[in-house]
Amino acid sequence: MSLPYTKTERVNLSTAEVLLACGDMQGLNIMCEMFAGFGVHTPRRCQTMAECKAVAQERIINLMVVDSALNDTDGYEFISWLRRAELDPNSFAPVILVTGHTRPSQIFRGRDAGASFVVAKPAAAMVMMQRIIWLMNDQRKFVNSPGYCGPDRRVKALGPPVGVKGRRHDDLSGAVGMATTPNLDQDEIDALFNPKAVAS
Amino acid sequence: MTRAARIFAVENKLGQIAREPGGRRPEDSIKAADGRIEAARGASIAVLVEKAEQLGVLVANRQGNEASSLDGLYDISNAAYGLAGTFGLSALAEAAFSLCDLADHFRSGEPANWPAIEVHVDGIRLLANLGDKAAELGAESILGGLRRVRARVLPPA
Repeated sequence: MSLPYTKTERVNLSTAEVLLACGDMQGLNIMCEMFAGFGVHTPRRCQTMAECKAVAQERIINLMVVDSALNDTDGYEFISWLRRAELDPNSFAPVILVTGHTRPSQIFRGRDAGASFVVAKPAAAMVMMQRIIWLMNDQRKFVNSPGYCGPDRRVKALGPPVGVKGRRHDDLSGAVGMATTPNLDQDEIDALFNPKAVAS
Repeated sequence: MTRAARIFAVENKLGQIAREPGGRRPEDSIKAADGRIEAARGASIAVLVEKAEQLGVLVANRQGNEASSLDGLYDISNAAYGLAGTFGLSALAEAAFSLCDLADHFRSGEPANWPAIEVHVDGIRLLANLGDKAAELGAESILGGLRRVRARVLPPA
């Protein structure tokens, strides 16, 4: 597995505000050790949704890593709350959901909660760093709709599937219509490729 | 009337902060993280043994509160699964995952098959106590037994 980064580039998380949440104390300790290795100085440690909410409401967080099992509820619940809480900018912050055993009923909840990424346990440091680097370069838009609130789940910008009408106002039709203006002549085409200053 | 979806760009603050001068090369960060996690191996294996004992207590005290016992079994075995996997204790992780399947299945309504659960808890206790030596001391035969029990009790996935 390789990192999407060159050998000389660096990742500076020393000033990043990071929330780490896990219901199991030793699981949380391991997460903290991992992020200390990544250079995170004082992560906000949480074991319950109540603690997560309190942190999200009182300070700006740049990255959240949330286990699916918190002490008082599921991690999904916190992420759903966060995305709809209108806490600018925390509601739009990147969230990595870490899942262990996933009940069949929870698979869709994980997808719909609004996490930026889902990482299955055991979450190795290499995988976590890859996801962080990906999130550093994430240009996805944010979707706020009655059924879903979170980063756009369409990671690839390939448009709607073939033969399916796009649901977005800016999705283009696959059908090409008739030209509405005259064709460019050859000089105009050449000028597009080889622009020159024109003396007035 | 249903609310229309809003789609908008958001500032990538993480990207800005992480690109500030200084920091570490990703390879160095990963090496440092792996080193720190490895330093917690001993404490984590001790915690796994504790968790295995907690599973035994839950099974022993299940009379009259089966539902909360199953919830507890699920939560503890789920935590044990994550922790064991982190330290490469794959047999223990598999046994814990299998117990998660059982606990989750039985708390969804069907009467619990406690002998199947007890066999899993015993297997987990044994594997947790063997720790790093489990693979060389017969983990595969323990797992083989648990797989057969699981296949008999749970519907195929």
